[in-house]
Amino acid sequence: MRYTTLSFMLLMPVLPCIHAFAQNKPAATEIVQKSQEAFYYSGNDMKSNVTMELITADGKKRTRVLTMLRRNDPGTANQKYFLYFHEPGDVRRMAFLVWKYPEKDDDRWIFIPAVNMVRRVAAKDSRSSFVGSDFTYEDISGRDVPADTHTLLREERLGDADCYVIQSVPKAATEYTKKLAWIDKKTFLPLKEEYYDAQNQLARLFTADKIENVAGQGGKKSYQTATKRTMKNVKSGHRTDVTITRVAYDIGLDDGIFSERSLQNPPQQWIK
Amino acid sequence: MLDRSIKRLTNFSVTHPWWVIGLTVVATVAFAAQFPKITIDTDPKHMLPVTSPVRQYNDQVEREFALHADVIALGIVNKQGIVNRTTLSRIAELTREIQKMPGVIARDVMSFTTIDNVTAQGSDLAVRPVLERIPESAADLEALRRTLLENPLFINRIVSPDGTATAIYVPIEPTANGKLIADEIRKLLPPDPGDDQYLLAGDPIARDTFGAEMFRQMGLFSPIAGLVMCIALWLMFRSVPMVVANMSVALVSIIWSMGLLIGLRYPVHIMSSMSPVFLMAIATDSVHIFNEFAFRFGEMRDKRRALLDTMATVGKPIFYSDVATAVGFASLATATIVPVKIFGLVVGFGTLVILLMSFTLVPAILILIREERIPKAARSLDESHATHPSSLARLGEVCVRRAGMIALIGGAFFLVAGIGLSRIRVNNNMVHWFKTESAVRTADRIMNERLGGTSTAYLVSQSENEDAMKDPVMLRGIEGLQRELEKDPRVGKTFSVVDYVRRINRVLHNDDPAFERIPDSAEEVGQYLFLFGTSARPSDLDNVVDYPFQKANLLLQLKSWDAGVMRDVIGRTEAYLAAHPLPGGAKVRPAGVAYFNLVWSDEVLWGMLESFLAGLVLVLILLVVQTRSLFWGILTFLPLLFTIALIYGVVGLVGKDFDMPVAVLSTLSLGMAIDFAIHFVGRFQQRYREHPNLREALVWTVARPGKGIFFNAILFALGFAVMVFADLTPYITVGVFMVAIMLLSALMSVIYLPGLIHLFHRVLLKGKLL
Repeated sequence: MRYTTLSFMLLMPVLPCIHAFAQNKPAATEIVQKSQEAFYYSGNDMKSNVTMELITADGKKRTRVLTMLRRNDPGTANQKYFLYFHEPGDVRRMAFLVWKYPEKDDDRWIFIPAVNMVRRVAAKDSRSSFVGSDFTYEDISGRDVPADTHTLLREERLGDADCYVIQSVPKAATEYTKKLAWIDKKTFLPLKEEYYDAQNQLARLFTADKIENVAGQGGKKSYQTATKRTMKNVKSGHRTDVTITRVAYDIGLDDGIFSERSLQNPPQQWIK
Repeated sequence: MLDRSIKRLTNFSVTHPWWVIGLTVVATVAFAAQFPKITIDTDPKHMLPVTSPVRQYNDQVEREFALHADVIALGIVNKQGIVNRTTLSRIAELTREIQKMPGVIARDVMSFTTIDNVTAQGSDLAVRPVLERIPESAADLEALRRTLLENPLFINRIVSPDGTATAIYVPIEPTANGKLIADEIRKLLPPDPGDDQYLLAGDPIARDTFGAEMFRQMGLFSPIAGLVMCIALWLMFRSVPMVVANMSVALVSIIWSMGLLIGLRYPVHIMSSMSPVFLMAIATDSVHIFNEFAFRFGEMRDKRRALLDTMATVGKPIFYSDVATAVGFASLATATIVPVKIFGLVVGFGTLVILLMSFTLVPAILILIREERIPKAARSLDESHATHPSSLARLGEVCVRRAGMIALIGGAFFLVAGIGLSRIRVNNNMVHWFKTESAVRTADRIMNERLGGTSTAYLVSQSENEDAMKDPVMLRGIEGLQRELEKDPRVGKTFSVVDYVRRINRVLHNDDPAFERIPDSAEEVGQYLFLFGTSARPSDLDNVVDYPFQKANLLLQLKSWDAGVMRDVIGRTEAYLAAHPLPGGAKVRPAGVAYFNLVWSDEVLWGMLESFLAGLVLVLILLVVQTRSLFWGILTFLPLLFTIALIYGVVGLVGKDFDMPVAVLSTLSLGMAIDFAIHFVGRFQQRYREHPNLREALVWTVARPGKGIFFNAILFALGFAVMVFADLTPYITVGVFMVAIMLLSALMSVIYLPGLIHLFHRVLLKGKLL
């Protein structure tokens, strides 16, 4: 595990080079690694406002509005997330802190303002729903690349984009048995993902519905960002629409923000 | 007019028998050609139309709370305790394999490996599957056992309070067949279970097993019943053509009516699947023709004359008795339940086919019997003449002489029957359609002994306002209702959002039991539920509260499928809420399969009971029209009334439920029990017109048509007696009832009618000739 993480980190600086000889059909695992990099690791840090609409099959809605702060741990594939809730009203001021490790379950803390209490939560990322949505924690922060066997099935067009179609089969039993991902050859963002269940039927469907190019602070780099995403539970008809606004990269978030302390005293500067 | 039409029809049939037979065969082939289009529907729920409020509300509740209508429960019992490595591994393996099965809603299969447990680990909050990996050490096993038994959310739901039983709940798609999935699950079970016992229960299994069995048993017992009737018929008349004639009539009516049903694209439902047996029974009516024909031929030795005379004599009673039967069944068309309506019309149509055949096919076949073979038939009746008719004649004598006494005894019976009738309980319990020792019923019983119960109900609290279900006052109200309902020992488990809130409150406070209560502010409740919704599977929360937190679902597990349990639950709920109303005028409405059964029971069964009463009135009117006399009409009606009163009196006295099979039978009894009285009265009136001697005419009627009546009754009873050996209790009920209906109505007609006619001859005969 350690080795794979390390190799992933070593790979990161050479990613542009790989991009250069992309014609030579990169291996499936490389594509997945680049896709993860593009989807989860853009910039050194990131701040965004996330609106999640949880919609039932017959159209009933619940809305969650939160600010998400993310910082990549320099030198490793670890990340830290700080989530601060604005809506629904009765959970305002609730906050989550997630320390993400690709190769094991995240560390999570939660602040419950009504009882002014911080609790660490131990849970399985692959099966716990992210704030009641159709996304799991794993979907939000990424899955360990070597945990699956990746195969490049074919290359095909999806809408306007040329895509790799990658099949990922988990090595150990998890909530799905197979994932098909359509990865944009240019941006390496996953445009569509199909999750199959134990009966080998399509169970969940992810789509990136809108991609925007967001310039990083300082204007040196820019990042392709999926600002509208949907995850649909095909079996139950439930779906989650995500809209991401006010995205900013490389804003210089301090590691101290991602601590238990800020759960109770959130960094006002960033969460407004 | 009627006489003339009958005469013309039989004349034609006797003159052109091959034409009649040929035409019948052609028509029958045409109807039989529809059979391959058959579709089958065994779900009793479909007996209420999709538009019925209870179905619509049920569907709505299931949608709003992400619930599934059909859930199979695989119970696992180990008297030494289910928390051991072998059993736990099997549970994990079974869950995994069951989730792979097509038709299973994999994401909502509930077992130790899929259900999350929220616990406090030190100051941490742990949300983990109850069984993530099989514990290695005895200490770990004991820890798991403790975790299970400590969590009130699990007790009686996925673990028994003593740790000896668990269940895997398997929701299936609405289109899936519960029996087929149960069969697949059975294949997964360990061949050598050791101390484990595996039990399959749940509504879809009972329903679909019944559906499958029903066709099997019908396929097995209709031919056996037919065969027994053939043999009995042959013993009575010693004539193969007569047996052929009778069976052809039955077959033709079955093929025509089922062909029509299938051709019109109606699915064959539990009820209409019984039509063949019913039609076979009704077709025995032609025995009256055989009986009279044998007598007549013996007297005049002229085949054609004997046949035409026979038809002229018995034609009218046959016409009226068949029409009465048809009316009895068609009265079901007044029911609101579509399959009941269709069943009534199908059997009504089949009865009319039998009527048509009685005047066409039967005479056509009889005229083809070679003369030298008929005397045999006549002689075989003559031989028994020495014993039977005379004993029947003696019976007639006694009935006339002791009329008062017999009437008195009848009155006494009536009184007892009345007591029984007042005790009749309308109830439908599908599990009781299986025998006590059957797998389905055993599984249901054992699981109800150990876990919360195999039947489910929902009580949905609904407020005017969003977020009302976060209000601690509301939650306390629901909690109070839960505690109240749990006082009923048949309510094995209650479960609501309250239980989650209490659990999270306790776990957040370092597992301090003092915090296992509803917190004081709505904000706290809201945040706890949010926390729960973000760590576990969202559907767990969805099952108990709707999206705007305007409705809460209280889930009940009931230990019995009796409709009465749900009726009591509703009664208790109403009483409790009257004394402790929920805040903001929130209302509570029931739903779920148990409630559905209750409504079904009430609507379908009471509906059938009403149509049955309507049928009674229709038949009475028909009788008055036929006899052109109010008194004769009522008199003819009495044996029917008496038979029905006695049968249902006994049903009430022995405490058998008035359930769907019994309800179907009530309509049958209506059509069947009237036949004999119509024959008796019709034939008596004819005889009295020809020989106006009251006593002689009565004794003659008992002796001669009475014989046909008894033959018919015995034939019928024998045919259906074999059903007592069926595996499904409704068929046993059908068998016993048929026998009882036939014998009783025959006895009533032959014993009571002469007595009553004699007693009331002054009113009935009034000096005028009929």
